[in-house]
Amino acid sequence: MIETYRDLDWSYYGPTLLEAIGDTIYMVAWSFVFAGLIGLAIGVTLYTTRDGGLLANRPVWLLTNFVVNLIRPIPFVILIAALQPVTISVVGKGIGNDAVIFVMIWASTFAIARIVEQNLVSIDPGVIEAARAMGASRTRIIMTVMLPEALGPLILGYTFVIIALTDMSALAGIIGGGGIGNFAIVEGYNRFRPEVTWLAVIVVIIFVQSLQIIGNWAARKVMRR
Amino acid sequence: MSGGAAGADPLIEFRHVTRRFGKGEKAVTAVDDVSLHVDRGEVYGVIGFSGAGKSTLIRMINGLEKPTSGSVHVLGEEISALSEGRLSKVRSRIGMVFQQFNLFHSRTVAGNVGYPLKVARWKKADRQARVSELLEFVGLADKADQHPEELSGGQKQRVGIARALAAKPDILLADESTSALDPSTTAEVLALLRRANEELGITIVAITHEMEVIRAIADRVAVMDRGRIVESGHVYDIFSNPRDGEEASFVGAALKDRPSPEDVLRIRQHTSGRLVTVSLKDSVAVGSVLGQAGQHGVGFEIVHGGMNTTKDAAYGLLTLALTGESDAVEQFVGALSAAGAVQEVAA
Repeated sequence: MIETYRDLDWSYYGPTLLEAIGDTIYMVAWSFVFAGLIGLAIGVTLYTTRDGGLLANRPVWLLTNFVVNLIRPIPFVILIAALQPVTISVVGKGIGNDAVIFVMIWASTFAIARIVEQNLVSIDPGVIEAARAMGASRTRIIMTVMLPEALGPLILGYTFVIIALTDMSALAGIIGGGGIGNFAIVEGYNRFRPEVTWLAVIVVIIFVQSLQIIGNWAARKVMRR
Repeated sequence: MSGGAAGADPLIEFRHVTRRFGKGEKAVTAVDDVSLHVDRGEVYGVIGFSGAGKSTLIRMINGLEKPTSGSVHVLGEEISALSEGRLSKVRSRIGMVFQQFNLFHSRTVAGNVGYPLKVARWKKADRQARVSELLEFVGLADKADQHPEELSGGQKQRVGIARALAAKPDILLADESTSALDPSTTAEVLALLRRANEELGITIVAITHEMEVIRAIADRVAVMDRGRIVESGHVYDIFSNPRDGEEASFVGAALKDRPSPEDVLRIRQHTSGRLVTVSLKDSVAVGSVLGQAGQHGVGFEIVHGGMNTTKDAAYGLLTLALTGESDAVEQFVGALSAAGAVQEVAA
């Protein structure tokens, strides 16, 4: 294996791999920002509108819950195809990294919503009651009590999400996107060069491990354990 | 402060308040036609077994719960009619202390105490000054930068009290504030509540199932059972008077100041005398009557009883077994009645 890597034409694979890493980071980062924020809003909605919640509202909860359950189980690869017309009308084209980001946002937003909801459920309701008793507005309670109280678990949840997004981004090649997944298939698998495929695997492992280590560290810092 | 010096307008008033949970067959009436008033500066205790509706009752004072019928008036507002938005203003004038402390784990001790001040839009410098002042008041100035999980139970509750007092409220609600604490810490927290009442003039409503809490801090008390207030008045009167019937069960059970049916059986094994319970409201008078027992031709044996102290005075009940000619005993009971209320103990 080592021999093989020495034989690789690094003047070609070097820049190609770097570009692929850049594409992956680009897709993951943008979809993480958008899906993270929208998912957070939907997750908070799910949690607060349920019975006995801060904004208890059965119709809103039912609708939100229904939509989340409707979209979340659709496999990503099917979603890429199914959303094509929407992607074209919103992004302007149906192929490329930006089109992939659009689909990734759809695919992950609702999963994030569930993760956020589950972490908020674990908050002690007494703490929220205390804030209400002080006269804090509902928006203030959400922003300054709920989210900070659940911050540690939320960081771990979002670490899970960003790794899932890395996973999704590997399918970008299907609609002409780049990234490490595309690199592994196009440069490695399709050209019968397993050592190139494995190069991609190693890069992904380092990428994911780094994210997990950062996430764990941040969560531990917040939870002071 | 001796409470009950009824002001023109009570600070808190419940008018025929009922709160039901659920509908139809499964409906539970947590609070059942309760009317009460709390005056400025007093400490009002509500005592009852768990499930008596105390929690629901206290939460109607700051609008965390709404009555099904009736109305709650607090600080001149009909709190039961306010929207959540309008409630915010009144709530900033009502502090609340909880059984499980309910401190924010995401904030330091100082952050917890300062939170209600942020809500009330205090300036940063004022906030910092107030937080130090409060931590000084509860004796935790050195813990400002620690997090709640680094504190003991008693310290947590002191932070809870500092936080509840932060925005200079008129009213402090104490929801089983010592029930999660051990006896020595309980005394510490009760002393703090008492100081808040005496030094800051804050009106306190405390709900509890512990007689100790009522004895230590309350001016007036309401005994709650199955959603109703079965007895209310000045703590001393409630505790020092012999009681009848079912409504006596809570006070009696909690005070252990009169023999239980098992006690009576045990007492009966060694004495056949007439059993009476006498109030020790005026213990000197009772003592002098007892001193004359021999002259009446009556023998007495103390079979049960003891003294307790409330915020204002000592009181107690003494159960005696009286032996002698029945006429003489009758006469002696008459003399005793003049010194303190007497009640027969059912054999």
